[in-house]
Amino acid sequence: MGDKHQQEWNLLLPLLPALLIVPILAVLGVEPLDLGFAAILAPFLMFPIVLLVGQIWNGNDIWVGKLKEGGILALASLAVSLIAAFWMIVHFLSLHEKKVHGDSITWLNFDVLSHDGTQWSVDAGFTNISFGIWLDSVSIMLLFVATFLCFLICWFAIGYMTTDEINSNRNHRFFAEFILFSMGMFGMVLADSFLWLFIFWEIMGLCSYLLIGFYYWKESAAAAAKKAFMTTRVGDVFLMVGLLMLYDIYGSLDFAVVFDDPSTGVGGTVVEASKLQPALLMLFIGCVGKSAQFPLHVWLPDAMEGPTPVSALIHAATMVNAGLYLVARMVPFVDVYHHGVPGMEELGLIVAWIGGITAFMAASIAFVQNDIKKVLAYSTMSQLAYIFLGLGSALYLLAADHHHAGYFVLGGALFHLFNHAMAKGMLFMASGSVIHEVHHAHHDLHHHGHNDDHHEEFDPQDMRNMGGLASKMPVTSIAMMLGSMSIIGIPLIGGFWSKEAIIAETWLGALEYEPLLLGPAILAVMTAGMTGFYMTRMWMMTFAGQPKHEASAHVHESTPWIKTPLVTLSIVTATTGALLASMHVGEFLSGEEAGFHLGVVDALKHTFFPEKQALMVVGYITIALSSLVGPIIAMKVHGGKLADGESANGMVAWLVGLSAAFKPMDVSGMANSRLADSLQNRLHFDDIYQWTISKTITPMSAFSAWFDANVIDGIVKLVERTSVSGSMWIRTYTTGNTRDYILMAAVGALSIFVLIVGVSQ
Amino acid sequence: MILSVDESQALAPELVMVAGIILAIIVPNLGDARVRLPLTSMRVPILWGGRRFELTSDPRAPGVLSAIALAIACLLSGLAIESADGMSISGVIQVTGFSRFMTMVFTAALAITAIASIYRIPSTRLLPEDLIDPDDSVESSLMDNRRQVDLYILLLMVALGMSLMALSSDLFFLIVCLELASMASYVLVGFHKETEVGGEAGAKYFIVGSIASATGIYGMSLLYIWSGSLDFDTLAESWSSMGELEPLAGIGVGLMLVAFGFKVSAAPFHLAAPDAYSGTNAPIAGMLATASKAMGFVAMMRVLIGFAGPNDGVIAWGFALAILAVITMTWGNLAALSSENPKRMLAYSSVAHAGYMLAALAALGSGLADSDTQDMLQMAIVFHLAVLVLFKLGAFLVLTLIEIDGGGNKISDLHGLARRDPIIATSMFVFMLSLAGIPPLSGFLSKFLMINGLVTTTSGTGALDADGVIPWLQSVDPFFLLAIAIVLNSALSLFYYLRIGLVMFFEKPGSESPLSPALGLRVLVVVSMIFTVLFGMGPASQWLLALIETAIASF
Repeated sequence: MGDKHQQEWNLLLPLLPALLIVPILAVLGVEPLDLGFAAILAPFLMFPIVLLVGQIWNGNDIWVGKLKEGGILALASLAVSLIAAFWMIVHFLSLHEKKVHGDSITWLNFDVLSHDGTQWSVDAGFTNISFGIWLDSVSIMLLFVATFLCFLICWFAIGYMTTDEINSNRNHRFFAEFILFSMGMFGMVLADSFLWLFIFWEIMGLCSYLLIGFYYWKESAAAAAKKAFMTTRVGDVFLMVGLLMLYDIYGSLDFAVVFDDPSTGVGGTVVEASKLQPALLMLFIGCVGKSAQFPLHVWLPDAMEGPTPVSALIHAATMVNAGLYLVARMVPFVDVYHHGVPGMEELGLIVAWIGGITAFMAASIAFVQNDIKKVLAYSTMSQLAYIFLGLGSALYLLAADHHHAGYFVLGGALFHLFNHAMAKGMLFMASGSVIHEVHHAHHDLHHHGHNDDHHEEFDPQDMRNMGGLASKMPVTSIAMMLGSMSIIGIPLIGGFWSKEAIIAETWLGALEYEPLLLGPAILAVMTAGMTGFYMTRMWMMTFAGQPKHEASAHVHESTPWIKTPLVTLSIVTATTGALLASMHVGEFLSGEEAGFHLGVVDALKHTFFPEKQALMVVGYITIALSSLVGPIIAMKVHGGKLADGESANGMVAWLVGLSAAFKPMDVSGMANSRLADSLQNRLHFDDIYQWTISKTITPMSAFSAWFDANVIDGIVKLVERTSVSGSMWIRTYTTGNTRDYILMAAVGALSIFVLIVGVSQ
Repeated sequence: MILSVDESQALAPELVMVAGIILAIIVPNLGDARVRLPLTSMRVPILWGGRRFELTSDPRAPGVLSAIALAIACLLSGLAIESADGMSISGVIQVTGFSRFMTMVFTAALAITAIASIYRIPSTRLLPEDLIDPDDSVESSLMDNRRQVDLYILLLMVALGMSLMALSSDLFFLIVCLELASMASYVLVGFHKETEVGGEAGAKYFIVGSIASATGIYGMSLLYIWSGSLDFDTLAESWSSMGELEPLAGIGVGLMLVAFGFKVSAAPFHLAAPDAYSGTNAPIAGMLATASKAMGFVAMMRVLIGFAGPNDGVIAWGFALAILAVITMTWGNLAALSSENPKRMLAYSSVAHAGYMLAALAALGSGLADSDTQDMLQMAIVFHLAVLVLFKLGAFLVLTLIEIDGGGNKISDLHGLARRDPIIATSMFVFMLSLAGIPPLSGFLSKFLMINGLVTTTSGTGALDADGVIPWLQSVDPFFLLAIAIVLNSALSLFYYLRIGLVMFFEKPGSESPLSPALGLRVLVVVSMIFTVLFGMGPASQWLLALIETAIASF
């Protein structure tokens, strides 16, 4: 075993030169800001290499054994991006500036042809499209999240993907698409204009389609990929409309132009809220699609059809964060304290309501899911909704000129994005680890020994087949525990710091300024409790109690490829929440340093002893619901002792023991109720959409198909038939007889003669 | 007549070709023959006849020799483009950058043809035991071996005639050189005389060609009567001093158009061309479609722009040529549409391309072009002639590769080529796309230059205050319609070009066997493909255009 591990580590040697690229570039005098290009280009250039070499060397020993079918190459390119990102972050922090904008590279120059009634004229270089790097606190945070998680997930994927036979000789496709996806996220975060943001956004959309449909021969995977693509497409169309409206207002989509002074439009005109707000709402619909919020959330659970690393990639590192990032980019538009356009309070309210509704809805659906990845999917949806809620409150508060509270909740929301990304990335990888091992255990059982009547459909993702894994997968169980605690918001761990800020400031906004915020605020508190329940339920069903399937009894923990990222992220999740909170991350992320200081003591004070009595009550209710009520109920229902003779380590053992100590509760009555049934059916959203589409779009497309087949094809066919008959006719003149040829030449000579003489007369 | 040092330097490419012809005759005859000195018993080796040396008895020697001679000539003329200073030799030759550029194009095409022929007409060294029991294959390879020398001498003759034609500054000398090249090419077309189609194609091509030539020579004699000299400068003077079109001059130029029209295969003089292309082998057909066509266009430009240009006086032939151009391109494309023989299809496509270039030439004759647009149009034509060598000849090279295994006369021979040989099929597809004028390939650039020249020349005549497309079109000079005709015809042509791609990639191959290994041929195909791409966009195309601009300046 030791030897084998040694060999696996040797595979990482090719990474070393990649690690040197960025330092060498820096030594050669490349501006730290321009390293952003390296971060984007490294995966972009590696993408075709992995794809082509993989296609050519498919099955080659070195390719499979040493390069892990391109995984090592992909990891190397992501390592370049990661180091470049670190370099840029350190540089940015050393500058003490709010934002840095690198030199742009001009990509396209448009000349515009115009007609002034008598004359055509060309305005050369009328407008150009350029690409540059834009760094501020939001983008460096997301850049770190994206590069760090993409790197770890790729690492994990090497272990997860290459050990499964079903993937062999296909993995190069996976890794190529994986790094293209990562490139899309890096580019989107670093882009200095809305146009490039959109371009990279679409690259991610394409890659999500490709990766969700990685097992394209499975009908469900193909359908899920199509669903994800089409649903986000609905949002993307609105996004594009919004961008065109923005262009109309500002005459440019460059951040530098737009954010310089959002209240002044093209040619120095005053921007009116009535024009800007619809544009921003359009952008927001795009974000709703990308981040899977109500009512465009339906694609996210189905996206679990992709391989587990893809789920981690989409849900933690990249795609869903894109929508949040874009909403965070809207802040300067509404921030009346800094040149914002006044009168756009509604935008924030809408964002907050969408967030609140989605948070509650997703959490309730997560109650009844039995697929471990689906629970996490709905949890993602719910947590993203928290962030939207926070961003919405921030937008509202800033628009209403309560900038103090506004910046606070903005920082909190972005901090929650960070915490959630880290925790969720880890949770997905941990779930991947579980699925991987259960699947392998089942596979081994199936082949060694029980080769008889064992042909029932076995779902390695179904938690009803698991249980009691705590003793067999110590690392995974601890990782999953920490991740769940962060998501739940157990005091002092990860997500706690940020979630409290979101809930508290939303309540503050609701109580002090705008009663309409009360709805999302109440939903947020209820969701906090529900989160406590379903996350605990997931952990208990997986790790506590007796094994519910013989496969689960034969699980053992996996390769270092899978463990390393789990350990890394466990440490990050457990510590960074408090660490960053003590470093005033909230105010850093909100880009607002003036005013207040949120050190760890202040944060604790803010959470537990706020100045306003009402907030204090809310805070304690939230903590009680999420940390005590939810988990305890979950333990009562799903907890239990491990099988005899099995023991887990330290904290996990304590937790399992605690769960066994509660008196079991029977909820079968509730589980069979109609509510549970409709929750199982995801509140019938898919059915409603299906019905609507079948009544509207299907007839329309049937008509279009008829029009295409008959009218358009008819015209094309007519042209074709005419051409072919013309061809047949003209060929009759090529008789093959030399005397006919000479006759034609004579006719030609005569006609030339007539034409020349005739014209000149 | 002895050439001075300067003159022989200026004519170096031609001298290399002459040397190539002489060597091709001598080398295969070298042997260890000795002759006894009279009245003595001394035998002196004379190296002529007798038992051939190993090297000289190799049937491949003439092919290699001629390919080398043509390649050297191509290189020399390419190097001389910048330095040519218009030196006049014997009153009939003028060495200009333009003529050197055209020599380069001709010899490049001929060199490629020569290399392809080495593979196409196999020459196998036979062992003595083969001869004891001669069967069919031995007989045919004997026949192939014996005529190796003839083929390559003819190819060198074609090259020599073409390049001298480009050099000529005298109409008479031009016609003579043109005929030297044409006569040699008639024989090449009928080279496979033992097959029925080969003999028939050669005979047809020869008869129609002779009649066209006779017409042209008659036109030339009328011009001589009219002007009293056939020197281009004198002709140009007479033309510009002419108040209105004099019948002798008009008819003379018109009849010459017939001769050149046959060379460029313009409708309705093209009818023998498809028969000739399909009757001969693919390398020769490729030569006809590129070098021979370029020769026709150079001759046409020499006459029409060289001395009968519209800017010097009378606008005579522009309209006639425009009508001819539209008929030619439409006829070519329509007939190609239903061709089932790829060589015939390429022949018609070559007719269509002639139509495009005639349209550009017609715009030059419209009298609307100023010196800038004139350069643009000429550049477009010359650029097209140059890049045709890459993709038109390249397509014929692919067909050569198929012909080696006995196919190449039916479109079904191309079925599933992508499965049999992906690189060759991809190259063929690139050639087809370039022929169709798809960006960013060089075929697009040449077509773009032509349409750009046409539109720039003519669109200025449209009413600037027209408030719609139709009124503007009514006000614009009819020559503008040539651009529209080219665009419509290009759309039509896509059908048969893409069809080749379709059958190559999606049909089931008739046989799974790989194509013949012919390494040199494959390298040529791939190199042509790469240059087809490179000359379409980027620095390589800029370089070529700059070179052509230099050449045009000395036209």
